[in-house]
Amino acid sequence: MERMRLLLVDDDQKFLSITKKSLAKQGHIVQTASKGSEVFEKLQAQNIHVVVLDVKMPGMSGGEILKEIKKSSPLTQVIILAGHGRVGNAAESLKFGAIDYLIKPVSITKLLQKAQEAFEKRKCLEQKIRDIQIRVLECQFN
Amino acid sequence: MILVPLIPFILVLGTGYYYFKTSIESTTIASMKRIVEDHRHMIESFLNERENDLKFILHSYTFDNLSQSETLDTVFDHLQEESQAFVDLGVFNQDGLHVAYRGPYSLKGKVYKDTDWFKEVMKHGYYISDIFLGYRQVPHFIIALAKEKEGEKWVVRTTIDTVKFNNIVKGVRIGKTGEAYILNVNGLLQTEPRSGGKLMEKHTDSVKYPSSNTGIETFIDQGLKGEAYLYTTTWLQNKKWLLVVRQEKSDAFSALTSTVYLVLLITVIGGAIIAVVAFYLTNHIVGRMEKMDVEKEQLNQQLIGASRLAELGEMSAGFAHEINNPLQIMKNEQSLMEMILSDLKESGQIKESESLTEFEDSMNQIQLQISRCAKITQAILKFGRQDEPRPQNIDLRNFIPEVIGMVAKKAIVHGISIEQNLDENTCPIHGDPTQLQQVFLNLFNNAMYAILERHGTSGGKLVVNTEPGENKTVGIVIKDNGSGISPENLNKIFSPFFTTKSVGKGTGLGLSVCYGIVDSMHGTLEVSSEVGVGTTFSIHLPAVE
Repeated sequence: MERMRLLLVDDDQKFLSITKKSLAKQGHIVQTASKGSEVFEKLQAQNIHVVVLDVKMPGMSGGEILKEIKKSSPLTQVIILAGHGRVGNAAESLKFGAIDYLIKPVSITKLLQKAQEAFEKRKCLEQKIRDIQIRVLECQFN
Repeated sequence: MILVPLIPFILVLGTGYYYFKTSIESTTIASMKRIVEDHRHMIESFLNERENDLKFILHSYTFDNLSQSETLDTVFDHLQEESQAFVDLGVFNQDGLHVAYRGPYSLKGKVYKDTDWFKEVMKHGYYISDIFLGYRQVPHFIIALAKEKEGEKWVVRTTIDTVKFNNIVKGVRIGKTGEAYILNVNGLLQTEPRSGGKLMEKHTDSVKYPSSNTGIETFIDQGLKGEAYLYTTTWLQNKKWLLVVRQEKSDAFSALTSTVYLVLLITVIGGAIIAVVAFYLTNHIVGRMEKMDVEKEQLNQQLIGASRLAELGEMSAGFAHEINNPLQIMKNEQSLMEMILSDLKESGQIKESESLTEFEDSMNQIQLQISRCAKITQAILKFGRQDEPRPQNIDLRNFIPEVIGMVAKKAIVHGISIEQNLDENTCPIHGDPTQLQQVFLNLFNNAMYAILERHGTSGGKLVVNTEPGENKTVGIVIKDNGSGISPENLNKIFSPFFTTKSVGKGTGLGLSVCYGIVDSMHGTLEVSSEVGVGTTFSIHLPAVE
């Protein structure tokens, strides 16, 4: 079975290291990034399934990073992890393609559950694309 | 301040008094002048008539004829029939010899050649004497006429009754002290004044003689006793006698005196009324101003309180956000510790023991406390109003039942009956439905908590009323029969972090959030409560037209 590849984005190094440790313990491949440029490097280097993204970031904001991710690799699923909840912000994030919106502090279990869901969706989407590609190829042969 | 309204009042009275005084004086003087004029005419007519009587005799009879005592008697009787003022009648030849006499004295044969009156009458043909004593030693005055015939002059003379003449002159009556009398050129009384004075003597009060020979003069002079008199004087036709009419000034101007008293009375009473009213009004205004000052001060305090609350809100929201990040880390660390612990247990490196149970309890406690912190930060963020409200018109007649629906199940479980009295005519209000819902839920939950505290799970009652309020507002009253709030807590309940609930059960932010939301909707949130009876929250929100 394919292991989930996660990218954690937050400006708090401690958060990144502890979360990475916890998730890695569960058998997932976890990458971390503490600023926007790093995110895109990691995304290009590896096939990242799910990104957990903090809203408040120095330099490029979470919202902007979200838009860029969705532009460059639309299949990558993004979970927003906000310092505090705002209905407007949440609605906007979902509109720009985030799969979920969580508010800190969130338990590892819950984060993992949401990430799992996102990963399933990603897999589902990939499967669909493959199916369509096969169908298109069949049409071309026939 | 009090004196200001008195100034125009006194000015009006003063001006009125001045014009009234002038008018009264001129009217009184004019009427005095008219009386003097009339009186002079009357006296002159009397003297003229007597003179004409003599003229008639002089022309009707000859000297010889009238010298006969029978004729003189008849003529005198006729004269007396016409006027009782005639005392006697005499005939004189040009040598001054009293040829014939009819009267009460025996004057026949006396010679008057050297008397003043005889000389005057022989010279001018006509003479009216002053009052004098003469041979008879009784005050009298005479009228004498002379006639010349064929070079011979003869004279007719009559004596006028001074009492009769006196009465005619004295007859004038003006007011209480008005009187009339005649003075000769030497200031001797020719008639008796009513106020006293003897004939032929100088009057005790000296009189200024008019400067001109004609006309009527008016002046005010002091009498001997010090009282002021209003004098009116005029010369009679013969220019020897001065008719004096005088009246005490206070009597003449009595209307003025009473006016002065009236004006003084009005001034005093009016002044007193003005002073009292001014005093009362000033007090009233000062009182109002003081009250307004106090209200202003209270308002200022409220404003300061409100702005502090707002600042606190902003600050708290900032803190809450910053606290959430470390909380996340703590939560993750705690999860990791749990994972490691379970790994160690599985691998048999740690055995079940009492210490392990305690350790696990501590771990759970950490998790619990983190959740508690998270709840607090969430409440603070709500209090800080980070979300932009989306106001819209809300029909409370539908909205309130919806919110009550959310707590209905909880109410049933706790045996609380909810009563709704929503006025059919309740106007809609304008606000953010989520925020308003938060307010109602908060108040309902608080009410239920208080009810449970007092009644347990039966006998609770929560009443929600709507009613039209003053100044186009809608009133929403939420009343419970719970345990109530003590007076010392009542004015703290809207302060952030104030709670009476036990530690961990409440953040103390609910009511301050409600207060902030209602305030942002330009409404008011008030509370009244009695321990052991219940609590009533009243919300007043502006109605939408």
